[in-house]
Amino acid sequence: MNSDMLQRYNYDEFVPEKFMPWMRFAESPELGVAAPDFPLWRLEDRAQTSLGEWWSNHLYLVVEFGSFT
Amino acid sequence: MNAIADKYAEDGVASVFLYSNEAHPGEHFPHLTSMEQKFRHAAALRDELGVSRPILVDALDGACHRAYGSMPNMTWIFNRAGQAIYKSDWTDANSVDNALAYYLDISRRRKDRETLAPFTVERLDYRNADRLAFFKGLTRNGRQAVDDFIKAFGPPPSEFRWEDKDSADDAD
Repeated sequence: MNSDMLQRYNYDEFVPEKFMPWMRFAESPELGVAAPDFPLWRLEDRAQTSLGEWWSNHLYLVVEFGSFT
Repeated sequence: MNAIADKYAEDGVASVFLYSNEAHPGEHFPHLTSMEQKFRHAAALRDELGVSRPILVDALDGACHRAYGSMPNMTWIFNRAGQAIYKSDWTDANSVDNALAYYLDISRRRKDRETLAPFTVERLDYRNADRLAFFKGLTRNGRQAVDDFIKAFGPPPSEFRWEDKDSADDAD
């Protein structure tokens, strides 16, 4: 894992020069095409899963991104 | 969003919360430096803020979050084929409710053998913007989160009072 990326992504203060570079919604994936899949970890048991595992097992999948803060 | 998840669960709709980075780090919930810490913060989201949907934790470098535009509280909806069909740069339960009702109707029309073709629509949705509630939420994170936000976007509403049970000496 790139340590510079880790530090920049997990910024330590909410100041424009640190959070603004991450506001990239305009560059996000297009609708209606194959979406990128990634490994994720379930909070309940820390088992690895993936977005694809979830969307392939349901008619629709709603994903809210966020954090405690 | 928990209520929306419950409302549509029996229609084949799954709803999850994907834990990303800390948008407003503070003394109580500082920036993330390990997966162990990320799991602890995610557990607090479940236990203290009452998120009852399954919580999925992203990699520490936010690989998934970054690939989808890395907004602090966005929502996406995917179909079973793995295509994104809705994306919103901010989460609003009314907007998601509206979208799910529409897509479930599309599923019903497909079952009725209608021939449907996709197209793209752009729409500006509206959400409640309760600045006082937002500032009260920031206090959970710690004083730094409040001060940083004020520096970036200006002062809180006049009714706002700093309250922090863990630092009473720090009260205004």
